[in-house]
Amino acid sequence: MNAMAHDETSPMKQRLAISTSRMAGLLLFAALGGAAAFGPALVGHDPASQSLLDARQGPSAEHLLGTDHLGRDMAARLLSGARLSLGLALLSVVSAGIPGALLGVLAARSGGWTDRLLTAFADAVLALPGLLLVLMLAAIAPGSWWALYVGISLTLWVEYFRYTRQRARVVLAAPQVEASRMLGFGPSLILRRHLIPEIGPGLLTIAAFGAATAVTAVAALGFVSVGIRPPQAEWGVMMTELLPYWREAPWLILQPVAALVLTVLALHLSVGGMRRP
Amino acid sequence: MGRVRPQIAPWWRSVLGILAGRGFQALVVALVVGIVSFIMMQALPGDASYRIAAGRYGYDMMDAASAEIVRLELGLDRPWWMQLSTWLGELATFDLGRSHVYGSRVVDEVAKQLNYSLLLAGGAVVASLVIAIPVGIAAGMRPGGKIDHVSLALSIFLRAIPAFALGIVLVLVFAVQLGLMPVAGFRGLQHLVLPSLTLGLGLAAVSSRVVRDAVAEAMSAEWRLFSRTKGLTARRTVVSHVLRNASLPVVAYVGVQGAYLIEGVVIVETVFAWPGIGHSLVHAIFGRDVAMVQGTALALGLIYVGLNLVIDLVCRLIDPRSA
Amino acid sequence: MNTMLDDACVTVSVDELRVHAGRKALLGPVSFSVNAGNTLVVMGETGAGKSLVAQAILGNLPEQLHADGVIEVDGGRVDNVPVNVRAASWGRQIAALPQEPWRALSPLKRSARHVSETYRHVAHHADPEAACAKAFEALGLTGSEARLPGELSGGMAQRLAFAAATAGGAPILLADEPTKGLDSDRRARVVELLSAVPRQGGTLIAITHDVAVARALGGSLIVLREGEVVEQGDTRSILAAPSHPYTQELIAADPSTWPQTLPVAPGEVLLKACDLSVKRAGRLLIEGLDILVRAGERVALVGPSGIGKTSLLDTLAGLQTPASGLVQRAGDLGTRAVQKLYQDPPAAFPPHVSLKVCLQDAARLNGTPWTEVEDLLARLAVPLSLLDRRPDAVSGGELQRVALARALSARPRVLLADEPTSRLDPITQARTLEMLAEIADARRLGIVLVTHDVDIAERWAHRCVALT
Repeated sequence: MNAMAHDETSPMKQRLAISTSRMAGLLLFAALGGAAAFGPALVGHDPASQSLLDARQGPSAEHLLGTDHLGRDMAARLLSGARLSLGLALLSVVSAGIPGALLGVLAARSGGWTDRLLTAFADAVLALPGLLLVLMLAAIAPGSWWALYVGISLTLWVEYFRYTRQRARVVLAAPQVEASRMLGFGPSLILRRHLIPEIGPGLLTIAAFGAATAVTAVAALGFVSVGIRPPQAEWGVMMTELLPYWREAPWLILQPVAALVLTVLALHLSVGGMRRP
Repeated sequence: MGRVRPQIAPWWRSVLGILAGRGFQALVVALVVGIVSFIMMQALPGDASYRIAAGRYGYDMMDAASAEIVRLELGLDRPWWMQLSTWLGELATFDLGRSHVYGSRVVDEVAKQLNYSLLLAGGAVVASLVIAIPVGIAAGMRPGGKIDHVSLALSIFLRAIPAFALGIVLVLVFAVQLGLMPVAGFRGLQHLVLPSLTLGLGLAAVSSRVVRDAVAEAMSAEWRLFSRTKGLTARRTVVSHVLRNASLPVVAYVGVQGAYLIEGVVIVETVFAWPGIGHSLVHAIFGRDVAMVQGTALALGLIYVGLNLVIDLVCRLIDPRSA
Repeated sequence: MNTMLDDACVTVSVDELRVHAGRKALLGPVSFSVNAGNTLVVMGETGAGKSLVAQAILGNLPEQLHADGVIEVDGGRVDNVPVNVRAASWGRQIAALPQEPWRALSPLKRSARHVSETYRHVAHHADPEAACAKAFEALGLTGSEARLPGELSGGMAQRLAFAAATAGGAPILLADEPTKGLDSDRRARVVELLSAVPRQGGTLIAITHDVAVARALGGSLIVLREGEVVEQGDTRSILAAPSHPYTQELIAADPSTWPQTLPVAPGEVLLKACDLSVKRAGRLLIEGLDILVRAGERVALVGPSGIGKTSLLDTLAGLQTPASGLVQRAGDLGTRAVQKLYQDPPAAFPPHVSLKVCLQDAARLNGTPWTEVEDLLARLAVPLSLLDRRPDAVSGGELQRVALARALSARPRVLLADEPTSRLDPITQARTLEMLAEIADARRLGIVLVTHDVDIAERWAHRCVALT
């Protein structure tokens, strides 16, 4: 009956293990973010300046990560790509997360037609796989950062909305909220004591996964030549450009791949989860 | 038992409900794709008729006359709302128009590519299940064991590698370096291996964990213990109780992965120059061939809806509670 | 115990059984033996280690637990035998009735399959379907063959589990809290079912927290408290004359032994319902009910599960609009003058906030000074140190008392209590209800108590409204 109560060592260990990997993810993400924010200024090379004579060099004191097929500094290009991808990802988290969560609470609270309309809109967005929608929206204005940003935000807000709406409906109908209301709790206290503690952690997880999705989408579209366009330094674009030089300079193509994988890994690990809530 | 089955009526009602829901989704897909394609056409830079004419006849052969021919042929001179209603009207009658670039009918092009895409998607699902089911069951039978830990770490790592990056790595390792597999294109079944493995690994990274969780939950469920203490052998318990209950979340999750699958098809086909719909869609976007964009996006969207429909029906079959 | 027993008819004997988790002792030493045709009842509250006895005999203790001592089943020693070998006797020699039948029946299998598969694969019965149909008829389950466990009532699910567990023909039956969560009618049916086992020559080991169940089953009794045997012997004589104070307390906690509450002079009318009808999910549950709640009076609403007690209470609280009829509050009653207590205390608190914050919010909003809340908590015997915890880190009884303090900080005139003690252990239940009564009397509160326990309704309340 109460055997579970005595099994405290293993969940404890598990919690510790999770928090180690989460910590690793957070540190990695902080490092990547710091590099994206301050790196471009520190490297001292222009990511766009070509020098065909210095093409495809290995790492050196001058070019820390070598140069690409047009002699551009790889470190400068990677960092510039990081700034573009992470910047877009963070902005999309804000512009998808805040309206998504607020509309979710609104739909759960008001019910009726508000709820039905919002849910129908969310379902319409979900009718197509996300990347397909981003692809098509981005295609309206090819190569534009704004089109990508709007497309990604428009696709991602639905997750925040659905999660918040579903959880908020449960919480608002639960005895915990009923009891608090009977005691005179107003909307702000209900939000602070009940909804935010209940929904916040899940939203953070969605935000991390959503940021990873955004970073991946930007690179994927860049890679298949329908997203950000050359000569802009973007990881997906760099992969396309460097793929032909795999035999001669394998370290080149591996750099944007590694940057992308590490970013996504850091984001996934930072919320310690394998799956979205 | 089959003695009494009183649920016939609700059964049909729930199936009809599923069909109606997915039918509605298909409608929304068509509408979204149609409208976005239309906006895309309106947003084409410069005079669309010149661009299309240039695409068709080449820049040297193009002049005002050929642009005029294109304009009349495609009805590009009418107000936008008339064009939109014509556009959606044509969509409603399954008239997807002609490729502005090739001049051939979009339906024919898409039909040609559909087989390839379905082959790839099917291959990917098979590959993912072949990997995910044994790994997931092995991990779920002993949660916290060695297999569980190793498969968890692998799954986290694989999940972080986007499909196209994984594709690049697989191509580099197996095709270029080891020379084991053909790199790109499609000239036989061996060409299917790398693309479907690329997609399948990505799918399996998550679905193996879903299988694991489902199995672990079923193994620790009180009903599993009860079926043992009432006398059934461990083997029979697994076969007749555990697998059925555990399969439900797994099948439902394949539906969730449908989105990943379709997205993957678009990207992976491009990596491997696979002659399917996704590749064609990317090409069409790049070449501003709006009719082709619409046709291919519609086909992909409908495959997605169809996949979800199948999943819904299978879930309904496994789980009589949903009636 | 009796050492003069004929060894041949002893079916289960346990000598110096101890269960540990690492170094921590959870149970024991426990020794007993039961003969064929007899019953052993193990009685105690949550955490007493009752289930460990059953798990040790069956051989399915959780992996991290370790059992010492000698266990013999049908004359053969089993405690030193590996689990997979012992499993061969499950269903054939020894069967176990689960605690919560809904969770023990795999949810996607239709009722009859649970039983017929045992007949087919365990008993190797020639015609398992016919045997199953016979069992269904004997248990009054005929007609539910194609239903899923989730579609059965608690009592039916328990009878189905009984049929499935015993179809293998095992003469020894272990029943772990077989009446948990059942109302008194259903409890009586299950007890009747169980007492048939020894009558037919089988051996019954029943584990329960319910004195009434122990009394009805008879046989011999072991009273456990925190893993230790406090009293052991013949069930009827122990229950008639308990020697250990804990046993006495346990028996006194049984509502059927409570003294009748004396009637009070009714105060002014606080809440009045006229010709009230209540609907839930479109179904009319209660029709044409009149209820009067007066100051200082305790009214019990009693009825079986599913009758609509909770919906009625919500209607009285003004949380649900009546299908027809009227609920009137006395003119001077504000919106917060009616408060509610919940069946599942942890669900009534925000799970991520400490109890202190929760109580402070309630006190601040209602203008109650914090010292008054502290006094209340002291009266309810809730240590103040508890308040730094979250609701899930506090026992159910303590949390229900905190909930009471929270409700009282709004200075209510009427308290609506929805089965507030049905998930608590008997002693805790008795104490909680006693405190509730004390405070209600002192503050002249009107109380409506919803319960499925007729004894509580009749003895604790001043007035009892039966819903049928």
